Amino acid sequence: MELKGRVWKFGKDVDTDELFAGRFIMGGDETNQSQYQEFIARSGLSDVGHRENVPSDFLSKVAPGDIIVAEENFGIGSSRQQAAETLKFKGVRAVVADSIHRIFFRNFWNLGCPAIDMSGISAQFETGHEIVINLRQGTVKNLTTGNESEFHLVIPPWFVDMVEAGGLIPYHKSLKS
Amino acid sequence: MTLVEKILARKAGKKVVRPDEIVEVSVDLAMIHDALGAHTIARFRELGVKGIWDPAKVVVVLDHYVPNKDIDTAKKCLNIKKFVLEQGIENYYEVGKGGIAHQVLVEKGHVLPGMILVGVDSHTTTSGVMGAFATGIGVDEMAVVFKTGRLWERVPGTIRINVEGKLKPPVMSKDLMLVILKRLGVSGALFKSLQYTGSTISQMSIESRMVLTNMAIESGATNGIIEPDRRTLDFLKGRANQPFEMVQADKDAEYAETMEFHAEGIKEPMVAVPPKPSNAVGVTEVEGTKIDQAFIGACTNGRLEDLRIAARILRGRKVDKFTKVIVIPASQEVLKAALAEGLIATFVEAGAVVGPPTCGPCMEAHMGILGPGEVCISTANRNFQGRAGDATARIYLASPATAAASALKGKISDPREFF
Repeated sequence: MELKGRVWKFGKDVDTDELFAGRFIMGGDETNQSQYQEFIARSGLSDVGHRENVPSDFLSKVAPGDIIVAEENFGIGSSRQQAAETLKFKGVRAVVADSIHRIFFRNFWNLGCPAIDMSGISAQFETGHEIVINLRQGTVKNLTTGNESEFHLVIPPWFVDMVEAGGLIPYHKSLKS
Repeated sequence: MTLVEKILARKAGKKVVRPDEIVEVSVDLAMIHDALGAHTIARFRELGVKGIWDPAKVVVVLDHYVPNKDIDTAKKCLNIKKFVLEQGIENYYEVGKGGIAHQVLVEKGHVLPGMILVGVDSHTTTSGVMGAFATGIGVDEMAVVFKTGRLWERVPGTIRINVEGKLKPPVMSKDLMLVILKRLGVSGALFKSLQYTGSTISQMSIESRMVLTNMAIESGATNGIIEPDRRTLDFLKGRANQPFEMVQADKDAEYAETMEFHAEGIKEPMVAVPPKPSNAVGVTEVEGTKIDQAFIGACTNGRLEDLRIAARILRGRKVDKFTKVIVIPASQEVLKAALAEGLIATFVEAGAVVGPPTCGPCMEAHMGILGPGEVCISTANRNFQGRAGDATARIYLASPATAAASALKGKISDPREFF
């Protein structure tokens, strides 16, 4: 499985309260998928103007298929899945970072979006670069510079199948049938 | 094997597990609360199964947005109650019956040594105080746990945090934890477990220990844990709601790392400067910083001993005229005990507002939310930018003693003056 996209370079220690503030957690009707997705996409990273670790034009220019490359410790903090959902619903296809916090790591994969932790990877990318991730081969390539690196994820063997099924819930539904 | 490795091995049905191995374990306890409960239920319904795997193993606590602050939160709580009734979940704590989930899980005897507990909340790590493996997960995973009773986990290597000596009051376990976080940083324990050992820990109350397991997550850790001992057993007497076995680390357990701390080395109360819980400095370094709000409470520091030390400082005095002082007991049980001891009267006399046992202003859920540029000294666990309100507000984390002293003066103050 190959993911190709445009890079947004984030800084370090992007936390879940920043990705999705507590005041929005009870918003959105979780029983109405389209209304919920629209609300979650709109509410995330809502005060990006005050942040140093997110590109200031990310909110206005992020597009479907984009990929975040971040420095260390992406997604620290809360278990709120909305922090992962807001990135997915804004169009972010994958997150590659020097390191990723456990709960965000799981949440993002569970939405069918790979979270890839590779020590030192952020130094190889800048916003606007083109990236290709090959999940089964375990490689990340910077098409702009030509650099290629390998990753070794600690994930269950069924995780890539889960991504191909569209996430944890669809994967579990497919197991039944 | 370490304590965590032993628990995971037992629940995975394996003789041995190794750090960074993927295991699949059975879950003993699953907690949802109002902040993410309705989302969990919606995802569970999407799976298309009727009943949860074992209603007796589910605990539901309303703690973030109760009493409901608006129609949205009331609707989500109604959905949760409907699900609880439909699924026959006995362990349901409506507002006024429980308090903050992490406190309720422990004080009502749900969490026992050797258990595996998951919650839709990162501070589920608190329950590791009972010698359980306790950690947070997202709502999709919880939906699957509700269906299967099973969870995959990456076995965390154990970082042993060994603390020797006696903390000198008013230095509290919160100050110790801020010192530990300063050394570990906010990512020092990613995919690792923190196990607290040493004479300081064995002489520490369960309440104080809970601060350490609560804030383990702030180092990026998967969980925090303390080996069950005499104090654990005493605490569980009359609380444990089923029999349990004491699981302990092997004598020859291999630790990823051991970090040594000396309680006597902490010369003064600590304050974590925004925006990281790991930004600890001695209180004298930030003394005099003007505050707008002081918050004493949360799953970190809303227990009886926390309220006692705050009341000791506030007794017979008045809080600063321009400072909002909010005291929130962590549970109904804590509130009841605090009432009986006269602590609540002390807070009210001093000019503090006492809130019902909930999460309070910790995560800008409900009441006490900070406006632009406001400064809060808080006994909670996170001081991320925008955590408790506007992105320009600033949160300083400290012990209840330091928060109480600061409440009196309207600026960050050293509690030693009142001892």
